Amino acid sequence: MTVLKKIKENLFFIIIVIAYGVVAIVSPSMGLASVKNSGYYIKEMLMIMPVIFVLTALLDLWMPKEKIMQFLGKDAKMKGALLAFVIGSISAGPIYAAFPMCVMLHKKGASIRNIIIILSSWAVIKVPMLLNEAKFLGPKFMALRWVLTVLAIIIFSWIADKVVKDEDLPKDESVTKGLTINQACMGCTVCVKAYPELFEMKGKKAIVKKHDESEIDEERLQKTIEVCPVDAIEYNK
Amino acid sequence: MDVFTLAIWLGTLIFLIVSFTKNKEKTKQALKMALNMGKGMALSIFSIIFAIGLILTFIPPENIAAFVEKQPSVIATVAAALLGTITLIPAFIAFPIVGTLVDAGVGIVPSVAFLTTLTMVGVVTFPLEKKEFGAKFTAVRNGLSFLFAIIIALVMGVLI
Repeated sequence: MTVLKKIKENLFFIIIVIAYGVVAIVSPSMGLASVKNSGYYIKEMLMIMPVIFVLTALLDLWMPKEKIMQFLGKDAKMKGALLAFVIGSISAGPIYAAFPMCVMLHKKGASIRNIIIILSSWAVIKVPMLLNEAKFLGPKFMALRWVLTVLAIIIFSWIADKVVKDEDLPKDESVTKGLTINQACMGCTVCVKAYPELFEMKGKKAIVKKHDESEIDEERLQKTIEVCPVDAIEYNK
Repeated sequence: MDVFTLAIWLGTLIFLIVSFTKNKEKTKQALKMALNMGKGMALSIFSIIFAIGLILTFIPPENIAAFVEKQPSVIATVAAALLGTITLIPAFIAFPIVGTLVDAGVGIVPSVAFLTTLTMVGVVTFPLEKKEFGAKFTAVRNGLSFLFAIIIALVMGVLI
């Protein structure tokens, strides 16, 4: 069972290994050329990848997200939009990590427009990515695409705001009771280290262990919820 | 190392030192988070890179460029944008690959269309987005993003 699951999780990797095996047997010279091609990208990646991850984590740590979020309501027009750009640009994780946070912001009064801005800038205009883009495609290319993308987001978030109404978003479903971990989890293992009695890793994500509600150390749990970099832990008594 | 890699390393290093002097614990946590992000993605990143190495051996970038050039530019651009919506590779791998293709002669317009839809439009994440925001919001956001990705690409083509 676990072997099967492991195979399923790493299916892509296994297929690639087999493909290389086949190519190496049929045409060793092409196999060698493939490895050489890959080698170039691997070298480039290893030079830039670690630093991108560190920079992303640092930005995530030092930007006062909670404070920024308070300004995202419907009234704070220019300021709200600007802050929405900032939040999207500095946050860590793939776009789906932004979904739960944006739902929460909408409940707190953020406009559709600002949510679209956060999601879009989260996807396209990350600071570490811009540096990477400048490296491979040139600073002019990067700067131009950045300016055009920001303009495009400003325009289409305005259009979307006219088309989509607040009522179109799903109504507040019954809040799940107890302790849960939502989609945003990116498997950083911080919660498992902070409170191993309650959280454990399952595959690439953290899950809540079976536990006795009465034995939860509220203060410790609260601290764990706060250290989660993507706010994925939900606790409703 | 080129100047951009150097700049990003240097900037991050300074950031890291400042962060350490301000809050040791939190910085350690951030580093752990970075390490785990890397670990989580390492295998899939290497798999993708090796897959691309293989593909580029059988279909050299020059052939791709020649093929793209033969297509009407509108079709090439829309096709590249569509390819971006279904492709699931991290953006930072996409940049060096698109860099290779552009160097080989693939036009700027399809390249930009691909890069922009790659990150902004998600066919794979559509069900997830629909669950959280509803069908209308998701359709409008992805639809507009796709449309504007093509506009951005066309404008880039004129300006560069």
